[in-house]
Formats: sequence, C-alpha cells, structure tokens
Amino acid sequence: MWVLFVLPGVLLLVLVLGFPAITSISYSIQPENKEIASYTFSHYVNLTKDPFFTSTFWNTAIFVSLSVAAHMILGLAVAMVLNSALPAKPLFRIIALLPWVVPDVVAGIIWKWMYDPIYGALNDVLLKMGLINAPIEWLSNPNLALFSVILVNLWRGFPFVMLILLAGLQAIPPQLYEAAAIDGASKRQQFFHITIPGLKKMIVVALALDIVWEVRRFGLIQAMTQGGPGVLTEVLSTYTYKQYFQFFRFEYASAIAVIMTIVLLAVSLPYIWMISQEE
Amino acid sequence: MKVTSYKLNDALFKTIIWIFLIVVTIYCLFPFAWMLSTSLKTESEAFRMPPTWIPLEPTGDSYIGIWVRKNFGIYFFNSTIISLSTAMLSTFFGALAGYGFSRFFFKGRRFLIGFFLATQMLPGVLLVGPYFKILSKVGLYDTRTGLIIAFLTICLPFSTWMMKGFIDKVPVELDQSAMVDGCSRMGIFFKIILPVVSPGMVATILFAFLLAWGDLLWALCLTSSEPMITVTLGIARTVGQFNIIWPMLMAGSLVGGMPAIILYVFLQRLLVQGLTAGAVKE
Repeated sequence: MWVLFVLPGVLLLVLVLGFPAITSISYSIQPENKEIASYTFSHYVNLTKDPFFTSTFWNTAIFVSLSVAAHMILGLAVAMVLNSALPAKPLFRIIALLPWVVPDVVAGIIWKWMYDPIYGALNDVLLKMGLINAPIEWLSNPNLALFSVILVNLWRGFPFVMLILLAGLQAIPPQLYEAAAIDGASKRQQFFHITIPGLKKMIVVALALDIVWEVRRFGLIQAMTQGGPGVLTEVLSTYTYKQYFQFFRFEYASAIAVIMTIVLLAVSLPYIWMISQEE
Repeated sequence: MKVTSYKLNDALFKTIIWIFLIVVTIYCLFPFAWMLSTSLKTESEAFRMPPTWIPLEPTGDSYIGIWVRKNFGIYFFNSTIISLSTAMLSTFFGALAGYGFSRFFFKGRRFLIGFFLATQMLPGVLLVGPYFKILSKVGLYDTRTGLIIAFLTICLPFSTWMMKGFIDKVPVELDQSAMVDGCSRMGIFFKIILPVVSPGMVATILFAFLLAWGDLLWALCLTSSEPMITVTLGIARTVGQFNIIWPMLMAGSLVGGMPAIILYVFLQRLLVQGLTAGAVKE
C-alpha cells in the first residue's frame, strides 16, 4: 500500500535528479576526445595539476570555514540575546532574518553597490567616521576581495543559524538555569554546562546544513565578483560553472562537481544518519 | 558591597547587550536602506560625490522604468509561472510521499528517507551540465517547462519533509475511523488528510515557490533569451553590462526581493521545521 504514495515521488526524484547525477559522474570519466570509446581518470589527475583548481579549492575552504564559524558565533550571540527578556522581540527577529530572505543575487548586488569605492555607502560612512583616510577598494584589492565577500556572506547566512539555535534555546527548561544559579553556578558555567550541551543537536544540524549551503553558494559571488579579481574569489561552484558554460569542458567540469558532491555527502552523512535513525 | 557591584555589573551587561543589538540591527538593515535610498535617486545623483544618504529630489522614475524601459514585466511573469508550477507539482508529490512516510512503516523506509535527504545535499553544478545537454536534445532548452522540471530537484525533497511534518501532526485515529467506515487509503488521503493539512500545504507551496524564485544558477544555465529569463537572471545580467544604471538596478532588486521578504516574514515560524527535515521544531 505504501508504494502507491511513496513511489511517484521516488520515481520522479530518480528521473529528474538521480539520472542527471549519474550522467554527470559518467561524463567525469569520459575522455574529452569522443573518438575513443573508453573511460579515463585523467580529469581527476589533471585537477591536481591545475593551479586554478588548487587555488579555487583553497578559496572555497577559507570561504566556507570562516563563513560557517562566523555564522555560528554571531548566530548564537543574537539567538541568546533574543532568547532573553527583551521588549520588541518579534521585531528584532524579523530584522535579523531580512538578510537571509532576499534572493542571493539581490544580496550580492546590494553589497556590490555598498562596496563601490567611489559612490558606495560603506566607504562614505567609514571616511566620515574618520576610521579610514582613503577609500578602500573592497572587491578589487587582491588582499581584501575574499575577505569582503566573506563579510557579505556573514551578513547573508547568520540569520538561519540564529533561527535554529533560537529554537534550541527555547527548548531548554528555564528551571535548569534557576537550579544552577541557586547552586552558585556562574553565568559562564551555566553557558558551558547547560546552554552548550542543550544545543548539541541543533549545533550539529546548523553546522551540517550551513556547510552544505556555503559550499554550494553561487549567486552571491556570481553577482558580486564573478570570481574576480583573477581567481581570488573563485569558489568551486563558480569555477565549475565557468568550466561548463564558458570553456565547454563538460568532462572536466563534471569531475570538479563530483568531487564537490563527495565532500558534501561526507559532511552531511552524520546529519542524514541522525535524522533517518530518529524516524 | 558585593550586591552593589553585582547590580553595576548587571547594568553594564544590559548596556552591552543593547549596544550589540543596535550594531546588529544596523548591520542587517543598512544595506537595505542604501538600496531603497538609491532606488529613489536620479541617475546623476547616484553618481554624486560624496554620496547623498537621503535623495535630494526623490523620484519614483526607476520603479516605472523597470517595467517600461526594461523587461521586468516579462521576468516577473516568467519567475511567477515557473516558481508556482514547480511549487504546486512538488507539493502534490511531496504530500503523497509525506503521507507514505508518515503512516507506513515498511522495509526500506529508512533508506528512502536517507535518499530523500541525500538528494538535498547535492550541489546544483553536478546537475546543470547534464540538464543543459538533455534539455537541448529534447528541445526544452530556454523554455519555462525546462526550468520547471529542473527546479523539481530543489523543491521536491523539501516539500516532502515539510508535508510529512504537517501530516505527522494529524492524529492517526482520523485515518482509522475513516477506514472503519470503508474508506480506501487514497480516499482517506484526498478526502480527509489533504483538507486537514491544507494550511500547511499552502505554506509548503509558498516556501517551494521562494526556493525556485531565489535561484540564479539554473536560470543562468538553462535559459538565455530575453522572453524566457527570470527576475534573478534579469538582475544579474544588468550587473554584467558596461553601464550600470544603479537606481534602476536597486529598484529592480527591491521589487524582485519583495515577494521573498513578505512571504518569509509571514511564514518564518514554519521555516525552521521545513528546512531541517523536522529535526528542529518550534
């Protein structure tokens, strides 16, 4: 009986998602020269020798790890403030959610304009406050570009972590804190012995989803820098896109995408395991 | 002595929290304020040095221009049709599968749940290449239908979780009593479950709609001609142009982001549950 309900969805997923995924994997082991009907791992070998791939890989690692770490810290801080007795809580919650709700492209474009060295608002504010003496080239200074993009991604991504952790905080019984306070536990001890253990599951969920989303992040960078200057803000998703649709190296691009997939599945495996066990 | 210092600490702590909140609020809102301000400027004022924070002569010209001088009407139409079709399709199939996962404990259930979850982790760039080739072959490249099919890959797993969550909350006794009355499983699903979860279904459709609405990658890879492109792609293309008209681009971004802002603000309570496959409940 269950087949009637579950099968249409499963078949549809296999058709629209499973089949293209397999196709992609098979591209990645086909030689670029179609005359030879065989398979090859040369694309994967070539990747290790491609300096652009190597730097893109490290950019992605820096982009993802700094973004996720910053999301966690800011997300937890804002969640804890919003969980305390505070007037106008729903309003702050909505304000803090706004950066997350607009499309990636819109977020990228607003910040591209914010960052504009001459006409942008950010330099103007910093100059007026006397924090800088000369306009900063946020997105074209090679030493700064990746950092500037990460700063935007912090803005964009922390609200969702905040929402998950806030839901977790609200589930911790207040009696625990009261009892701890009576026993003389400091705020610091309460944080490490009640808050963090109480949030353990939420932290796993937030970490897994956030890592997956940041590895896949595309529209934000595409709208802001398209990977430039040079390849300094190039990440795996924009690099794969370029290999596909600008250089038409489908087999090579597929190999990069397959590597991304392996990384993403490996990262999310504990999360998938946790949820399917709970069910 | 100890009491006073504790109180002083408390006041200091509160001040720090308020300063923190104000800084976070500015960080969150300032870019939006800048977008709004720019969208109300004339083209020449947008390129003034130093920039004006509040437009000297506010004008709504850009908001008219995006529909009249640019093809925003077409983009909006395409995004709406594509996102809505995908959302309704995926929510229907998601509801079916959600009911199956919610009510039947069959062999391989965990595996299938894991499969649905894993599909949500795949990167879009793994799929766009094959899609480009397959859609070109069957004549669906650069069509709305092509994008609708492609967006199912994002929306279907999501809709399944969301609908399963809503169906889980409907008591099984409802199914059982209907079954005693001789109602078939399909009858129960369509006549009893769907009406009961219809508010959840609307929420799921809206979320799936927003997932499709916000995409750039798929639209960029699977459409190209002006009559077929979506809002996000239309905006992204403007940035690539040599001469960017910022007030118009900001007006377009604001209008293009508006459906998302409005719907998310209304639906935010359900958002967490849906995106975490029910692992987090509020």
